Amino acid sequence: MSNGNAYSTDTQFAGLRVAITGGTSGLGLALVGELLHRGAQVAFVARRRDGVERVRRDYPGTHGIIGDVSKKHDIHPIAIQILGTLGGLDVLINNASDLGPVPLALLADTDCEDFERALATNVLGPFRLTKALLGSLAASAREGRGALVVNVSSDAAVNAYPYWGAYGASKAALYHLSRIWDEELSAQKIRILSFDPGDMDTPLHATAAPDADRSTLKRPETAARELGDAIAAVLSRGAPDSAVAACEAVG
Amino acid sequence: MIAASLPVQRPSNAKLLVVDRYGHIRHRMRSEFAELLRPGDVVIANDAATLPASLSGRHRPTGRPIEVRLAARDSLSPHDISRFSAVTFGAGDFRTRTEDRPKPPTLNPGDRLDLGPLRATVARVLNHPRFISLQFEGLPAEIWEGLSRHGRPIQYAHLQIPLEYWDTWTPIAGLPVAFEPPSAGFALDWRLLASLAARGVRFGTITHAAGISSTGDPELDALLPLNEPYRIPASTASMICAARSRRGRIIAVGTTVVRALEHAAGLYGAVRPGEGIATQKIGPSTRLRLVDAILSGTHEPGTSHYELLRAFVAQQTLPRINKELNAGSYRTHEFGDSVFLEKAALRNTHLPYWNNDRSIA
Repeated sequence: MSNGNAYSTDTQFAGLRVAITGGTSGLGLALVGELLHRGAQVAFVARRRDGVERVRRDYPGTHGIIGDVSKKHDIHPIAIQILGTLGGLDVLINNASDLGPVPLALLADTDCEDFERALATNVLGPFRLTKALLGSLAASAREGRGALVVNVSSDAAVNAYPYWGAYGASKAALYHLSRIWDEELSAQKIRILSFDPGDMDTPLHATAAPDADRSTLKRPETAARELGDAIAAVLSRGAPDSAVAACEAVG
Repeated sequence: MIAASLPVQRPSNAKLLVVDRYGHIRHRMRSEFAELLRPGDVVIANDAATLPASLSGRHRPTGRPIEVRLAARDSLSPHDISRFSAVTFGAGDFRTRTEDRPKPPTLNPGDRLDLGPLRATVARVLNHPRFISLQFEGLPAEIWEGLSRHGRPIQYAHLQIPLEYWDTWTPIAGLPVAFEPPSAGFALDWRLLASLAARGVRFGTITHAAGISSTGDPELDALLPLNEPYRIPASTASMICAARSRRGRIIAVGTTVVRALEHAAGLYGAVRPGEGIATQKIGPSTRLRLVDAILSGTHEPGTSHYELLRAFVAQQTLPRINKELNAGSYRTHEFGDSVFLEKAALRNTHLPYWNNDRSIA
């Protein structure tokens, strides 16, 4: 990995427990490598066993979990395995995304089922998984470890791109969910961030725009490094609760 | 009392029987719980998530069906999950009352069990033919995967609907180490936690591997609660210490919190942070050193949970509480109504109780 970044060391995230959905391709895969490189304990989730086993082999020490975040009944088995293998959770990255119809379609030509799948993967999945893991995140926050959820967004969440209706609408919902939840959880010291990685050279992008000039696209490793820096910045702002610390000598 | 037979964690009509330190009894709605608290109090809950601890499968030597209910573990370590204590049953499932279930086949050390994708061996038969030490094969990640995919929440015949995971996880559920829900925590939601903060009441958690509540066998039930590992975060220990220095009350949400905190309590009200294993039984003769009040489900006489509640109330108050619970049609079991008991000012005395006639609000 190119390493001109002062934050990138192999101990920066030592002890940090991170889970990444959609961790076997694109940005998710790059994040597995990036966060592992910075010293985090990493669990990742993906749907297919072969992909999970490949990444597990390529990145020894990571915990691969097979599950589909769009399925309600997969959420708790995923959460149990994340918490079981990591012993808790400090950072959740909801990265798994669904494009909606492939090839991309005008909204008027979009099948309801394709729209529903995009909503289930991009909105309900992050909502449910975050909710199932909220108790652990709150415990991390109380213990002064920091607690952060990153929802991977897109400029399609704010701009009206024709043909990106299902994806754009679902990402807009996720973006707004992130903002509201961040407000609601501020008292618990849990942060919910939205992160737009930009147009990246990923399998998802290739599916959406097969004719795009790949040389103009951002490498997912670059976006992963930017997100790593953003996570570091947020976590460094969390300070231990001084009122609590003051009593330790007495106890 | 009536069995609560629907898995609704926070029914809007949930009731709360309040017994103050003088033995006065009042009937409130559970939604009014926060109003019972004072600035400076701390509320401590058990944030254990509930494992799907019921595993159905086959006893390989006989080919007969078996249900294994994981019941205890020696530590909370995520890597140390191959060995459990477990209670076994024969054919059938939760729809049959535990006391009516067929017995499992005779179990011997070395017997292999096929439990869905999980492979296990009877390591030892403990002090009852249905109570075993179970050893899973495989890496921790494989055991976690097998448990999460094949296990079902432990449940009992008063609930005829199969429970889903989300029925058994409290809103604050974190590390999956409980074998049955720490169900007093069902009363908590995030709105309540926000209202506590607004009242100057602090909220903290411990993680305690709540064990099973019933086995269907009086001899086995007499062993409950089993030894239960717990962890008290430094932040929670500090919060308790700070509250006591300001004369705030320590309020436990659930019996498991009482067991862990009292186990970790040192002299002068300090709490030892870190991991421990609660081995003690709490009952009417226990002198509580730390916990000032408990929010709990309503428990039936004869259970270990009920015995623990007796540590809070004066002997002469108990019959009145039971009478009020029955007269008020309180619902029992994990999805039932609640009680809030302050530690009695005059416990274990046999003086005539001078406030008897003020018992009904």
